Amino acid sequence: MANVLDLRRRIRSVKNTRQITKAMKMVSAAKLRRAQERAMLARPYARMLSNVLESLVQRTDLYNEKTGDLLHPLLLEREEKNVLVVVVAGDKGFAGAFNSNIVKAAQGFIDARRAAGQTVDIEPVGRKARDMFRKRYPAANYEKKEERYDNDLATHFEILRHRAAPIEVAGDHPTLLQKIEITEVSEMAHSIIDRYTRSEIDSVYVVYNEFKSVISQRVVVEKLLPIRKLGSQEITVAEVMSEEQRDAAAHAAHTAGISVNAPEESEFEIESKKFGTAEVDYLFGAPPDRLFRHLMPRYVTTQIFHALLESAAAEHAARMTAMDSATNNAGDMIDALSLTMNRVRQAAITKEIIEIVSGAAAL
Amino acid sequence: MAETSTNSGLLNVRLVTPDRVLLDATAEAVELPAMTGYIEALYGHAPFLGELGAGEVRLHGGTSGDQKFFVAWGFAEVLPERITILAETALRPSEIDIAEARQELEEGERLWQQAGDDGNKYDEANGVTRRAEEKLASAEGRST
Repeated sequence: MANVLDLRRRIRSVKNTRQITKAMKMVSAAKLRRAQERAMLARPYARMLSNVLESLVQRTDLYNEKTGDLLHPLLLEREEKNVLVVVVAGDKGFAGAFNSNIVKAAQGFIDARRAAGQTVDIEPVGRKARDMFRKRYPAANYEKKEERYDNDLATHFEILRHRAAPIEVAGDHPTLLQKIEITEVSEMAHSIIDRYTRSEIDSVYVVYNEFKSVISQRVVVEKLLPIRKLGSQEITVAEVMSEEQRDAAAHAAHTAGISVNAPEESEFEIESKKFGTAEVDYLFGAPPDRLFRHLMPRYVTTQIFHALLESAAAEHAARMTAMDSATNNAGDMIDALSLTMNRVRQAAITKEIIEIVSGAAAL
Repeated sequence: MAETSTNSGLLNVRLVTPDRVLLDATAEAVELPAMTGYIEALYGHAPFLGELGAGEVRLHGGTSGDQKFFVAWGFAEVLPERITILAETALRPSEIDIAEARQELEEGERLWQQAGDDGNKYDEANGVTRRAEEKLASAEGRST
């Protein structure tokens, strides 16, 4: 049996670990609070933007009256041959099963699509997803073809895709999750829209962790393009939290002082739902196809922005829960070790007494 | 302008950006940079829902005084007693980074050079250029 000194040393080390995990938990709780708030603040804009689109769709025909063309290419549905899947995971580990759950869900989706004979592009967001998929699949190869004309005064770019494998990793966003700013998200959305309009991809899905509250989260696969019905989420696969996970999350939230309920809708948020829906004839300044051209990319951007913000909140919640469990486990371990240590010490004392007593008896 | 407004009612004005609700105030009159030019809305304006271009949203009167915001693309809903502005970018003129705006201006010119024969790309390039120009104008206080 280990001696008292060794046990004491181990207890000290576990205590130190507990300190660290506890600190990490509190840090995650603070970050979660901020992330949750940010997600809330971003809601009115998203809500109002989709209201404007909905209102526009109700009032106009989606097809051009003269030519019969669709008003916007993002509404066009093609046969799904090439699928793009945006996988939103985290930048850092120590978040329990958060990253692996997302990667698992994404991999399941990719395998199913591959089995159906479709080619799949993966667009990872977050370092964990990127590292994982980069290891498994080759990167997509793009060629920028430049044409010069008008005596070299003007240039024309064409981007060509050379597909080598059925599953490739397209796009790379190493810094996107650090701040989650709309301008950066907008760049990503535009690159996706470009690929969609030039028929490189026929549909776009996003895999991310949806966050309603600490105890209500799920990994979802949401269809982003083509836009079939505005304002409604089209979710194909969803993985909910287990009862056990929920209890652990509730405990973590309780000890960190975070509400487990979904935050209440602000007065303004409720009001924002009415934006553009009043029962009056509005004047739309511009022709519908132009409005569509301006609105659609922004709609896609806010959808991705929303997914990123929710995923960020979910990541902090997952880390908080994981660190809370680690703190509890460390506490249990300290208890068990203290018990063993006391027993060993007692045994040593008993042994000494027996030695003295039997020594005295032998005299 | 605002001084001539005879209506006692105040408009509720809200400015919403993708990140947050930037402004929640009252005003006697609001100037909006619509696509076809500035419009001014007073209390009791007819319902209007329109696209905004690049320019300044200006609030006149009201409890928090005159205020200006540079906005780039958005939507505005005007109801008789309330104006809600949805703006992709909204900045106070003092917050504008002039060096960045100049870069954007160059970027717009570069895009225009590269647009080739794609009409949409020209529109996009023109949009970028106009936004940068308006941004500079707003920062330097010479916005019209």
